[in-house]
Amino acid sequence: MGGKDRCRLGSGWLWVQEDVKDEDRAHTGEETGNWPVIRRLLDLTWRYRLACIRMIVFHFVLLGLTVLSLGMTGRGIDYIRHAISVSEGRVPPPSWPFGLAPPAHWPPMAVLFLLGGIIVLLALIRSVVTYLNNLNSVRLTQQGLVVDLRAAVYDKLQRLSFRFFDDKASGTLITRVTSDVQNVRLFVDGVVVQTFIFSASALTYFWYMFRIHRGLTLLSLTVWPFIALGSSVFSRKVKKAYRKNRDLTDEMILGVSEQIQGMYVTKGFSREADAEARFAARNAAVRNQKFLIFQFVTIYGPSMELLTRLTVLGVLAYGGWLTFHGQLPLGEGLIVFLGLLQRLTDQVNVLTTITDSVQQSLTSARRLFEILDMEPEVRSPPQPVRRRLGGKIRFEHVSFCYTPGALVLEDIHFEVQPGECIGILGGTGAGKSTLLSLIPRFYDVTGGCVFLDDVDVRRLDLDALRRQVGFVFQESFLFSNTVAANIAFGRPEATRGDIERAARLACAHEFIQAMPQGYDTVLYEGGGNLSGGQRQRLALARAILLEPPILLLDDPTAAVDAETEHEILEAIESARAGRTTFLVTHRMHALGRMDRILVLHRGRQVQWGTHEELMAVRGPYRRAARIQLGDMLDVSAGLGGSAA
Amino acid sequence: MKQGVTGSAAAGLTIVSRDAREHGADVRPLSLSLYARLFRYTRACAAKRNVLFVTVLLRAGQSAVIPWMMASTINGPIRNGDWLGLLRWLTALALFTLFTQVTLHFRQRLAFELGESVVHDLRRDLFRHMMEMPMSYFNRTRPGLLINRFTSDVEAVRNGVQNVVFASLVNLGGMLVAAGFMVYYDRGLFLVVLATAPILWGLNRIFRTRLSQAHRAVQESFSRVTATVSESVRGVRVTQSFNRWARNAQMFHDLVFDHSWFNIRVTQTESLYLPLMDLNGQFFLAALLILGGYRVLYGVGTTTIGDLVQFFFLAGTFFNPIHSLANHYNQALTAMASAERIFRFLDTPPDWTEPPADGRSPVTEGQVELDGVSFAYVPDRPVLRNLSFSVKPGASVALVGPTGSGKTTLLHLIAKFYIPTAGVLRIDGRDIVTLNGGDLRRSYGIVLQQNFLFSGTVLDNIRMGRPEATESEVREAARRLDCLDVFDALPNGLQTRVGEQGAGISLGERQLICFARAMLVNPRILLLDEATSAVDALTEARLQAALERLLVGRTSFVIAHRLSTVRNADRILVLDRGRLVEDGTHRDLVRRDGLYARLYREFMLAQSEETIRKKNRRAGDSVRPQ
Repeated sequence: MGGKDRCRLGSGWLWVQEDVKDEDRAHTGEETGNWPVIRRLLDLTWRYRLACIRMIVFHFVLLGLTVLSLGMTGRGIDYIRHAISVSEGRVPPPSWPFGLAPPAHWPPMAVLFLLGGIIVLLALIRSVVTYLNNLNSVRLTQQGLVVDLRAAVYDKLQRLSFRFFDDKASGTLITRVTSDVQNVRLFVDGVVVQTFIFSASALTYFWYMFRIHRGLTLLSLTVWPFIALGSSVFSRKVKKAYRKNRDLTDEMILGVSEQIQGMYVTKGFSREADAEARFAARNAAVRNQKFLIFQFVTIYGPSMELLTRLTVLGVLAYGGWLTFHGQLPLGEGLIVFLGLLQRLTDQVNVLTTITDSVQQSLTSARRLFEILDMEPEVRSPPQPVRRRLGGKIRFEHVSFCYTPGALVLEDIHFEVQPGECIGILGGTGAGKSTLLSLIPRFYDVTGGCVFLDDVDVRRLDLDALRRQVGFVFQESFLFSNTVAANIAFGRPEATRGDIERAARLACAHEFIQAMPQGYDTVLYEGGGNLSGGQRQRLALARAILLEPPILLLDDPTAAVDAETEHEILEAIESARAGRTTFLVTHRMHALGRMDRILVLHRGRQVQWGTHEELMAVRGPYRRAARIQLGDMLDVSAGLGGSAA
Repeated sequence: MKQGVTGSAAAGLTIVSRDAREHGADVRPLSLSLYARLFRYTRACAAKRNVLFVTVLLRAGQSAVIPWMMASTINGPIRNGDWLGLLRWLTALALFTLFTQVTLHFRQRLAFELGESVVHDLRRDLFRHMMEMPMSYFNRTRPGLLINRFTSDVEAVRNGVQNVVFASLVNLGGMLVAAGFMVYYDRGLFLVVLATAPILWGLNRIFRTRLSQAHRAVQESFSRVTATVSESVRGVRVTQSFNRWARNAQMFHDLVFDHSWFNIRVTQTESLYLPLMDLNGQFFLAALLILGGYRVLYGVGTTTIGDLVQFFFLAGTFFNPIHSLANHYNQALTAMASAERIFRFLDTPPDWTEPPADGRSPVTEGQVELDGVSFAYVPDRPVLRNLSFSVKPGASVALVGPTGSGKTTLLHLIAKFYIPTAGVLRIDGRDIVTLNGGDLRRSYGIVLQQNFLFSGTVLDNIRMGRPEATESEVREAARRLDCLDVFDALPNGLQTRVGEQGAGISLGERQLICFARAMLVNPRILLLDEATSAVDALTEARLQAALERLLVGRTSFVIAHRLSTVRNADRILVLDRGRLVEDGTHRDLVRRDGLYARLYREFMLAQSEETIRKKNRRAGDSVRPQ
């Protein structure tokens, strides 16, 4: 069952409404109406219709069993009353379902045993059906829906462009994958299926009650408009409150997560008290807002129940009057009727739960769909060019901005031959990292073009492109996995030999060997048990393993000590052979080895040329060089001194 | 079942499934002490709690009284055709129902509020305890698992208090009252009810262990799921640049699928358990019909048809709660498992106890002295070995050594992020162990490699160490660092918002902010860990000059890789594999021709021949002093 459904889900429904949605969002902003969301949720439900129908069928069976056994007890009482008053003839004999009356010559006890046996038998069947039903529904929800939804959101998250993560907190994203997914699946089993079951049960009970006595049924109906009104008012009020609560909770948890990451800062500045105060405020805000919700909820629930209870009393009054006049049998009539009314009242609770679930699932669905609908900004073109890149790179009047109007790069224009090694120098915020990010299409250019081997990067197959571009970030994130698995991150099937070769090239082999379990040492999340230099060398090994024709190094020596910097530069030296390499660095001695140097200033390309060319002219490059050369001068002076 | 899946997930994307076994084999029966401890959390709102208990008692009585009244109405006025009597009964019932619903309102509301308050206090304590943990704890704990204490665990406890405990008490009380009524009407028939008790007890016993194991498994596998998501989001840039989508997605799918199997196991157990409980009630009804019928029909005992009607009504009050009780029981198990984890965290003692804080900094001079200090993160793997040295107040010390020589660890010890495994570290002559870490660090300016910024404005972040500082003070501090123009060049100047993990701000800018943050507190002791590395050459040169001025009069420990910092330091400490191997000024050490001289030469060799030639040629141009 689920297998087929899942396949369809994987390829189908995520994309179904995409085109419509984007338009929608553009016009209505984030506050889209409920209907589009509900329509999509229904669509989602439809994918799982088989299991849903099975669930409904099971519930029908359960309902039938309930009604049947309910009649049995009432019938038993009437039968006893009839048996003891048979001589007086005051109490009429009970009616039997489908006219299946026990033979008149049976002794009363035999009939009672029969009734008892039926009750037990029905209960047994009920147990079995309940078991099957529960298994069916957990398979549908936890194994079908939740797994599929989580996998879909996760996959989407992974593919979303960098821009998305630039301003999203990881805490709220985690909620998407965990509780939001659960709430969305609640729509299927908690709303759609439950609504079916609710209406079916309510109708059945009504039908049964109607058969017992019309007047009584109508009387008990009077309360329903009030309940409906109450529930719609309630749901509107509570909806807002829940949304706010969710935001407050998110904020609080986000605070905790940030606090954990920035713990050393707080401790370093002895601001524990502040942190506690900030958390206390958020914590209290969540609580106080919850208190408001509780007020709503606890007024709504009991007052609805009061209404139904009063109906029961009305039924008792009218039903009592009817029995006085012999128009209604006591057991099979009034008692069973009350029993039915009780079940109907229980259904009111079901209704409340459904409205609750609607709220929850709509709120979560909005947030989930927001992500699922998000078009990864950068995608492979329809007819991608797939080829082995030679390493020629050309920027043609490239400009780029993260937010409209604020250009981060402006009119970048240069060409690099295969195998060349380019150094990039620039102040903070000059756009160096951004420039590198444009080559593997982490972002798309705002204006101009980036060509690889004379092909616009946007025409290349994205997977193939990124596989051929090795990237080392300023701060390299490592996963909580073994060293070997981290190096083989981009090519999990790599052999240990490949991995070691890459590690050697990246000057990482030695320290890896020295770790407790060598290549099988498990790293903490983010590589917490490594030094900055070690992390960078692993990241370099990770990039080299792919044998990329283009190697992009975004200031890999930024966070390492001088000795490690030397090692990393050596490693780069050995790794860059035969590759087009870009190296962002502030280190003059590293820049001096580059074939050509690009100097950026506030997003503009201010200088471009070889080291010699740039040193020959007045400009930022020579200025930066002189400052650092001053350093080295002292060094050599010091050495000279020691030699003397 | 599909146990193999765990294995495959473990081998891949993360090893979360491997190391998340923090809860090991801790399946043990519910303990009273846990309940008692949770109960203590209700003390803060004792009045609310007491009223709640009163409403619980009222509700318990009400839940049995209503069916009793109904049955009595039927047995009395309705059967006898007493119209007036019926109206009287019904009016009483109506009033009573109103009373019931008002009670219910308060019962629910107070339970909700109590639960929320308990959860609030739990979170408060969790946070407070978390803040008490020294850095060593955070370096060995996965953030995701810690956050789970605040989210899913607290949520389970909330559910336990709000929806389980009091509702169960009401149900139990209702059962008791119903039992009382039944005994009153017919002792014999009630014995039949009682006969089901051992069966219930037996069922409970059998399923309890299985359920609690299954619930724990669910929670733990869920922890793995969240931890994995968290890590994946943080590492998403790497994932994208290495095209790992498909594989990660497959692994995540396996992990989630694996989690779903634990859920299914819980359902399987529950769906065996609950229908069996239900079956029990139906058996009772059948028995009641047969036995009661027999007694009424053949006049055994005093049972009347009216008593039988009473029993049918009361049986509902007696048996229906069993179902929800069993349900609640499961939720209680989940809540208890969570409470246990929460309390286990709260009970984890900090690696050491801080002496009480008095809000004043104990540092007056800034003298730092180490006496035979050794340190190991893991026993038997010492990172620092027998360090002894003393630094005069106001001296600047450069720490030099190969990667892994223990420089950062030494800074952490001076900051009291860790305490020495052996030996004594003294600040102004007083053992650091006797000083409160928080008080101590008031006099510190610390800039570490991570350059962490909190979400908020740049201004907020700089003010981190001294929130009461005015904006002009902040600007002044930035001016002294000679980086005010960098901050002003940000999109909104000092008011620019910083995202989580400092997104939107370049690494260099982040580092400058961290610098300004440290400077604003006017520290006696300055700890800088490779602090200047990510700033571009021009900015750095300015920063360097500013730093030199700012270092004056402060004791400073700097792990830098700018030679100028090292060279200008009053003293250079050279570490190698945790030992202090050289100690002296730049000139001394170069002359000694030991490790420092070697490192230094290596650094020099890194410069290409050509560059060195160039720099020699330009020696005359140099405007550097010294």
